[in-house]
Amino acid sequence: MDTIIIDGLSFALPLFIMAIGGIYSEKSGITNLALEGFQGFGAFIGALSAVLIANTSGIDVENLFYVSFLFAMIGGMGFSVIHAVLSIKFKANQVISGVVINILALALTTFLTTQINALVFGAASDKFRLGVSERFTIEGLANIPVIGAIFTNVYPFEVIIVVIAIFAWYLLYKTRFGMRLRASGENPHSVDAAGVNVSKIRFSAVLISGLLSGLAGMCFAYSISANFSSNIYMGYGFLAIAALIFGNWKILPTLVACLIFGFAKSGGTFIAQAMALPSSFTDLFMILPYVLTLLLLVFFSKSNRAPRALGEIYDKGKR
Amino acid sequence: MSDYIVEMKHITKSFPGIVANDDVSIGIKKGEIFALLGENGAGKSTLMSILSGMYEPDEGEIYIRGEKVQISSPNHAANLNIGMVHQHFKLVEDYTITENITLGIEPIKRFAGLFPYVDIRNANRKIEELSKDFGLEVDPTKKIADLTVSMQQRVEILKVLYREAEILIFDEPTAVLTPQEIDFLLGIIEGLRNSGKTIILITHKLEEIKKVADRCAVLNKGKLVDVLDVKTTSVNLMAQLMVGREVSFESEKVPAQFKEEVLKIEHLTVKNEDGFEVVKDVSFTIRSGEIFAIAGVADNGQVEIADAIAGLTKVSNGKIFLEGKDITNESIRNRTEIGISYIPEDRQSYGLFLDFDLSTNLALKQYYKEPFSSKGILNKDVFEQFGSKLIDQFDIRSGQGIKTQVRSMSGGNQQKAIIAREIELQSPLMIFVQPTRGVDIGAIENIHNMMIQQRDQGKAILLVSLELEEIMNVADTIGVIYNGQLQKVASSESLTTNEVGEYMMGAKHE
Repeated sequence: MDTIIIDGLSFALPLFIMAIGGIYSEKSGITNLALEGFQGFGAFIGALSAVLIANTSGIDVENLFYVSFLFAMIGGMGFSVIHAVLSIKFKANQVISGVVINILALALTTFLTTQINALVFGAASDKFRLGVSERFTIEGLANIPVIGAIFTNVYPFEVIIVVIAIFAWYLLYKTRFGMRLRASGENPHSVDAAGVNVSKIRFSAVLISGLLSGLAGMCFAYSISANFSSNIYMGYGFLAIAALIFGNWKILPTLVACLIFGFAKSGGTFIAQAMALPSSFTDLFMILPYVLTLLLLVFFSKSNRAPRALGEIYDKGKR
Repeated sequence: MSDYIVEMKHITKSFPGIVANDDVSIGIKKGEIFALLGENGAGKSTLMSILSGMYEPDEGEIYIRGEKVQISSPNHAANLNIGMVHQHFKLVEDYTITENITLGIEPIKRFAGLFPYVDIRNANRKIEELSKDFGLEVDPTKKIADLTVSMQQRVEILKVLYREAEILIFDEPTAVLTPQEIDFLLGIIEGLRNSGKTIILITHKLEEIKKVADRCAVLNKGKLVDVLDVKTTSVNLMAQLMVGREVSFESEKVPAQFKEEVLKIEHLTVKNEDGFEVVKDVSFTIRSGEIFAIAGVADNGQVEIADAIAGLTKVSNGKIFLEGKDITNESIRNRTEIGISYIPEDRQSYGLFLDFDLSTNLALKQYYKEPFSSKGILNKDVFEQFGSKLIDQFDIRSGQGIKTQVRSMSGGNQQKAIIAREIELQSPLMIFVQPTRGVDIGAIENIHNMMIQQRDQGKAILLVSLELEEIMNVADTIGVIYNGQLQKVASSESLTTNEVGEYMMGAKHE
């Protein structure tokens, strides 16, 4: 039971912060299928900088995760500029832009990883080894039955994510920027008529989604996979999109969706291990979150409402 | 200096292909209601878009309170106390009234002296006071999605007043309102003038100008025709100047001769996508030689009735009979062949292929039949002959005749093309949905005459219109719809405009 909660949380929270990035982008009116690419590219930059710093300074790579998080966020944000420029400045189709960015991220980071490994470190490898981040347990709280598992074996990034998520909620619902951002996704003309620059708002929203996705990608790299390789593109970005849709583009319900996915994943692993099945069958249980996605889709897609201007190219002259 | 608060001198603005404003000069005095009159495409909206900072003029100068200015953005215009009440509301449906009004200039407070947040509570109070001051009572915490059209318009007006506008531009404000709401709005506009504001009213409705405006500038094809003193000018003269020729307001028609029943609707119920009943248990009949008009405020189910008859919407309950035959479940093509002509509300998406040429569009309802095609192969010669014939017969004007791309034609001529195509089917029932929407006075006259002509030839005609004047003018029988239900069916002679208006609001019913 405890492992289900511990592993579920450490998967759900990165998913959640990535979904929040998606909410920002989509609430501003920009369809964002590129979360997958953003998180992969962010993780690549984060991992690369960690490995490079470790190589030059001699610090153990496992102790560099705060630095790598910072670089991952910058990397994810930098990569998201492509989506912002394509879909806002050049008014490209946002779905196509998102899909292309995902393909580009996979190809580019795989290529660069092997090349950098070969040229810089002289190793024939397609991954940057990172190790698993330290964990901590809050004594006392951890002894509470059932809930105690929440405070056991916590990754530091889980705390960071919770703090950022609270700030993201405040920014989206309580501030001028948030009000204008949400209005841009509902009716950009009204925002324009109020003398606010719609493009600027949408641009920043997409950058925020890149930043948060980069953070999420790095969390996955430092926990589940313990390295950076093309395995990072497991479809978590799309799972985050599914979560934000089930969450009706609202932050709290999205958290619930992410937790369901997280526990489905850790629960699946747990069942597979408990039944001691051969490894080819454990894969069957790993599809649990995705089956759940399909099921939830059936029940939730009817009552949900996307931002009204989502995916529409904003043209000032058109009414 | 001059006594004008706004002066626009020698304004010229052209877009690719047309000159929207050609050397227009107007001066507006403080505290007057100044009307801009003109047909669609006369350049009224362009001129005011320049004043409100949305476009920059190619040539010409603007003086506000005697000072020369270059208005570069709507923000700049707002700083000069110029505000525009848009025709197409620019509101966020999911936001409250307050959130909409304060968007862009949200009042800020700080939480614990550190974190800024939008102070909605204070803004609510301010807006409530403002709305009371001007007689525009609203509940600031309500969401836009829950408001009627006229309430939404109040929000647009309050938005401008909240920004402390002194010069208010109203762009076709009455287009979406019922007669009672129009009277109320005109009252508000007069009240604003009396409290010292300057009002510019863009419209093509003469009676409104006559009612409230002090002076009126007439534009035609981008040029200023004249500036008139409204009190001393007749409506007829204004109309003549606007159109450039004499116009008759009342369609001439001989008394109707009703014959056999053509369309019979029994207990029709239609649900929308959300499963909500938008048409509830509606029954009526239309006879040959009768124009039956459905009057109502927008979105009360009238379009759904027309769509259900034409086959565009599924009927959830009830029956539709055409010349005694049950067509409730027939396909659209079968209905066309049995005898329905349909002129849709949205002519550009439902009526035409904008990128196809005129002859193809004219043949759209018959292309699959002999002689337009034989064994599945289209015969272009027949298309062209047919097209040329209709162009002559109905006086459809276009740049390159049958080869004209329909997109490049004016709205009035696009509509004429659709009507020509539908009349040519010789169907016993013709459905006109908003046939004169967005076309100018000259073309409206023409379309009304065509409808009456078809009636006199023994067609049954269903007219759905939001223009009450049009209905009073051409209909023989009027059915008033409110909230999906027919409130009243009576001959047009037995009803006054005001009565129909009351039924439309649901204030009166049988």
